Amino acid sequence: MNKTLVRIIFTLLAVTCLVSQNAVSAHAQSSIGIGTNDAIVPSSGWLGALMQWVNAHQQTFYRSLTGALKAMREDGAKLWLLIGLSFAYGVFHAAGPGHGKAVISSYMLANEVALRRGVMLSFVSAFLQAVTAIVLMAAVFLILRGTSIRMTDAAWFLEIASYAAITAFGAWLLWQKLAQHVTSLTAGKAAHSLSAASTFTCEQTDGSKASEICAACGHSHAPDPAMLSGERFDWRSAWTAIVAVGIRPCSGALIVLTFAFLNGLWAGGILSVLAMALGTGITVAVLATLAVSAKNWAVAYAGGGRAGNAIQASIEIGGALMVLLLGLLLLTASLSA
Amino acid sequence: MMKSRIAFLVAMAGPLILPHAAVAHPHMIADAELRVQLTPDGQSIAALHHTWRFDDVSSSMFLVDLDANGDLTLDETELIEAGKIMLDSMAMYNYFQLVTIDGKDTPMNPPKAIGVTYENNLLSVDFEASPKEPLRLAGKVDIGVYDPTFYVALDFLDDEQLQVENLPPACRKTVIRPDPDEAIAQNQQSLTDAFMNDPAGNDMGKIFATRLELNCQTNG
Repeated sequence: MNKTLVRIIFTLLAVTCLVSQNAVSAHAQSSIGIGTNDAIVPSSGWLGALMQWVNAHQQTFYRSLTGALKAMREDGAKLWLLIGLSFAYGVFHAAGPGHGKAVISSYMLANEVALRRGVMLSFVSAFLQAVTAIVLMAAVFLILRGTSIRMTDAAWFLEIASYAAITAFGAWLLWQKLAQHVTSLTAGKAAHSLSAASTFTCEQTDGSKASEICAACGHSHAPDPAMLSGERFDWRSAWTAIVAVGIRPCSGALIVLTFAFLNGLWAGGILSVLAMALGTGITVAVLATLAVSAKNWAVAYAGGGRAGNAIQASIEIGGALMVLLLGLLLLTASLSA
Repeated sequence: MMKSRIAFLVAMAGPLILPHAAVAHPHMIADAELRVQLTPDGQSIAALHHTWRFDDVSSSMFLVDLDANGDLTLDETELIEAGKIMLDSMAMYNYFQLVTIDGKDTPMNPPKAIGVTYENNLLSVDFEASPKEPLRLAGKVDIGVYDPTFYVALDFLDDEQLQVENLPPACRKTVIRPDPDEAIAQNQQSLTDAFMNDPAGNDMGKIFATRLELNCQTNG
């Protein structure tokens, strides 16, 4: 069981290292120094070329969005067009980095969070991002304008705070998961020593169900139901994940709000950003659900028992590790910009 | 400032890998102009003159970011500050220039300054950059102007926006506007080769960007 767990973890790390060879440049500040850029753009290799192709087709959509924004200035009825496009923008743009997919998904993977709750987490974090953008731009317009504090710097500050929070959250989650699974491993060992006299070894996977007790060694081989319980939903850790994601405002939202507020289109700007949040929440929820389904499938495929436990443990630990590494990547990129 | 390459570790679950393939989009849009200045003897490129006119949504970003005295316009001091910020930030992207001669990258000197103007709520940028070594008009010279991070979308509205002063008769000028679908198809082999040989290879944007191409007969 120990060996399997270790093998799985190392395989996962090897896979991620392999994928990472398609080198990625992370730029938190924009290329011209005004405004922030969400994107982590692989500019090289096969993935880079794909991104270039996607971008060429994406420009049209973004222009429609800014066009609708300008049109609303002349004709208030165009608000609905803007809201519709903003919603679509939220859905598609959330496929890119910076919208909480990794953090929320990993959190759900690592904590056996019920899908229903996971969907709620996705929406709450998306709306918090919208609120942060609105509050930031309100602060810029009411307080910061006329000072030497730049909007770009204020946004950058929030970005760093978010990435630091994600890193800390990932570290805490990893610590928790390691402690939890290592404890169950050592508990397993203790049980073995008690039955050392028996020739039957508990290494055997017998596919027993939760209700069955392994005749030879006297304990259940099925996944610990307590680990599966949605009742263990911990609001404190959920809010940590939500806030870590939510305090970084989306760069697209900032652009819309800047133009809208400058032209006195207060309601239009706010509604547009809320529509984006709705779209973003949907995408994050869908992707997080896919991740959790993938995990459940993997555990079920392993047939329960020891392999099931091993896979569950490695996915949970892997999820926590990913949040930590993602946080570190984003934090170092943001600080070096 | 070295471009830092940070290894990006991806989650094990399939759905989590896809989102990290960044879906970048432009945050600023500008109409671009390029004027190529030749040396007096007409044999080499002396400098590239760039003018970028940002649209009103982009210009409002500049205004809100840099209007330190809150007067809803950018005055002399603020414009100079804007120029300095851009001079510093664009350095690592070669000021959005890609100049090659017969396919080989040609290094450019950074501009001395970036001029910024703000009129009728629209911001314009202009600057000039010269090649480090004299760039002789011989063979195939390609000049592309684009932001490799996709943050700024630079559009040459028509081919007249890319000009060469007093181009000698031995040279032919073309403006190449690659179609993204064709570009991927045509370059399939080289992209695959590049990925196999050197996954962390060069900027592939040169395949997609609008560029000015000068084909000059070399004199015997």
